[in-house]
Amino acid sequence: MTEPRWRLPPIPVLLVGVVLIACAELGGGAMAQFKLELARWARGTMLARPHVHGLVGVRDVDEQILDEALVKLDGGLRLFHLHAEGMGTIIIVTAMVAASLVDRSALRRTIVALITVGGAVYPLGYLLWSGLIPFHGIARGKRLAEWLVWIPFGSAAILAMWLLAAALAAQCIRSVAGRSRVAP
Amino acid sequence: MRRPPILLVFVAVVMLALGETAGALLSPLRPAVERYARARVAANAAAHGLTGSAEYDDEVRNRAIFTAEAGISFFHTHAEGLAPVILLAGTIVATVVAGRRARGILFGLLTVGALFPLGYVVYALAALETGRDAGVELAERYVLTPLGTSAILALLGLVVILGRAARASQPAR
Repeated sequence: MTEPRWRLPPIPVLLVGVVLIACAELGGGAMAQFKLELARWARGTMLARPHVHGLVGVRDVDEQILDEALVKLDGGLRLFHLHAEGMGTIIIVTAMVAASLVDRSALRRTIVALITVGGAVYPLGYLLWSGLIPFHGIARGKRLAEWLVWIPFGSAAILAMWLLAAALAAQCIRSVAGRSRVAP
Repeated sequence: MRRPPILLVFVAVVMLALGETAGALLSPLRPAVERYARARVAANAAAHGLTGSAEYDDEVRNRAIFTAEAGISFFHTHAEGLAPVILLAGTIVATVVAGRRARGILFGLLTVGALFPLGYVVYALAALETGRDAGVELAERYVLTPLGTSAILALLGLVVILGRAARASQPAR
């Protein structure tokens, strides 16, 4: 007995997944290539907003604050690289599983839309956070990224995955029930 | 490409869903996780060797909490990473492996192997309940090693079968 075949998800969904992976690769390369320029720009932007970062004009204190912000900024870029690579793959895999195994077309379309939009925008939250740190500080930048991107779009991706898991569970139960009906 | 059995796909998708949900525990829900971890360490004071000396106890508590958070983080990364690998390997098995019995064994090993990241949930919880070192050892010995071995065996089996298929497909000289 041979196994059934995978069905291809819609081409725009594949495109989004591949573009996201390409952005992650580019981001990883750019992060290494422009590390110095980025740090210089972030430092200059932070020094221009001393009240935002709590800079007091004492070199020892300020350098520690600036260093911490730069580490977080770099961390945000790294997390974008990691999450965009991962979510690009997950968009493609999830959409392929939904296209192949979810029978009800409304549910299938919902799952594919949620994972594509949620999965593609979620990693951009890390870029946003990194970009916001020099202007708004670590904590406020994180709060903004959380409410604008991570929570809404991350929730969409999580919801898509659980909907797909539930649809597959129902399919598993149906196939077991069908087999036991056929068995003598 | 052929698709693996629905049970394997289901397990991989559940691991992806759990992995994504665990990601939320690492960021917006982190304070709640830390509160829970602190409460569990306090409830299992003897297992953690807490002495009543504030400085020493703080260090022990922080190490246990760090281990629990690391467990959730490892779970997040491994669940998100391993599930697509299992789906890909299952697809290759379904497409390339001709023997029904070999296919069944490989699907079984891959399905069990897909559960490997759950070992890190055990790692996080056991570190809080039985003390850091005992918890890590328990998770490694009873969960991570057997489930990881299953995934490794499946991949090695696939390598052997693919190697044989590649040799068989070469024209005779």
